[in-house]
Amino acid sequence: MIDLRIADWRAWAPGLDSAQAWQAWAQAPCAPPEQGEQPDCAFLPPMQRRRLSRMARMALHVAWPLCGDDEQLPLVFASRHGETTRTYAILGDVADQQPLSPTQFGLSVHNAIAGQWSILRGQRAESTAIAGEGDTFEHALLEAATLLDQGAPAVIVVIAEERPPEAYEAWIDDVPFSYALALRIGASRMGDATPASSWRLRLAGHAAVASRSDWPFALDFLRALHAAPAPFVHTWKTRQWIWQPNL
Amino acid sequence: MTDLQLDIAQLIIDTLSLEDLAASDIDPSMPLFGDGLGLDSIDALELALALQKRYEIQIASDSRDARQHFATVASLAAFVEAQRTACAG
Repeated sequence: MIDLRIADWRAWAPGLDSAQAWQAWAQAPCAPPEQGEQPDCAFLPPMQRRRLSRMARMALHVAWPLCGDDEQLPLVFASRHGETTRTYAILGDVADQQPLSPTQFGLSVHNAIAGQWSILRGQRAESTAIAGEGDTFEHALLEAATLLDQGAPAVIVVIAEERPPEAYEAWIDDVPFSYALALRIGASRMGDATPASSWRLRLAGHAAVASRSDWPFALDFLRALHAAPAPFVHTWKTRQWIWQPNL
Repeated sequence: MTDLQLDIAQLIIDTLSLEDLAASDIDPSMPLFGDGLGLDSIDALELALALQKRYEIQIASDSRDARQHFATVASLAAFVEAQRTACAG
C-alpha cells in the first residue's frame, strides 16, 4: 500500500495541450484525430532539439515545467511499447541490409529519453526506465514510491505512448492515440500553489477474468483527477490496483 | 560556393536535422565541429554514412586524415571529388 501526493501534472496529446483541453477531454473522452503532431519544445535551442524523437518531445514537453531549475529530482520514465516508430525504421534497415543510422541506433534503447532528460535538463539524480504490461502506469508509480521512500523530496514520473506504425496494429491495441502524462509526486515546487491531490494505491490479487478500462490507465487516472474524488480499480490479468482518494 | 559544396551543405542539414538552417547559411570554410556549426562525434558518424550513400564513396573509419576531411564543407567537397576520381579510375 502506498500513499501518493500528486503535486502537479501536465499532459499532451494531439490537439490536447492545456488544462482546459484536458478538462473537456476528461468529461467527454474521445480519441483525437492524429497526423504526427508533436510538441515543438521551443524551450530548447535547435541544436539540442534536433535529435529528439516525437516521443522524446512529448515526454520533455510534459516533464519540463514540473521540475524547478534549481532542483535535482529522480525521474521515472515509463512506456509499455517504447519508440515503436524508431524500432520499426531500424528493423526495416536491417531487413534491407542497409547500414544503421548511428543516431537512431544510439537512441534505440528504452532509457534514451531518460538520458536525454538528464542531459538537456541538467538532472544528475537517478532515473529509471520501465516497461510493464497494461498496468505500466501503476508500476511506474510504485517505482516513484520507492524513490520517495529513499528520501527524494519529489519524483517526476513520465508515461508516454505513441501510436505504433501500422505493422504493429494486430498486436498493440491499447494506444488509442499518442499521449504523454507527467506527474510530480511528493513535495510541490517552491512557491507552487497548485492544489495537490492525494491517493492511496493498493495491489490486491484478482482471480476473476480481467476487466478493461476504456482508456489506458494513465489517461483513466487523468479522468479521475478531474472528477469528484472517488475510488476506482484498474485490473490487469491477476493484478487489481485499487485507487482510493485520501481526503 | 560550388554545386558540390551546396549539395554537401544540404546533405548536412537534411541528415542532421538542422531545421533552422539553409544550405547557403553554411559557409564552405566554417568549421563543422566544435565552435563553428557545433556538430559532434555522432554527427560525424551519421555524416560519413550519408556521404557514402549519396556519393557512393568509401570512407575508412580508421583514416587518420578523416579529421581534416571533415573539417569544413570545402574540405569535404575536395575529399568527395578525390574519392570519386579514385573510384572512377
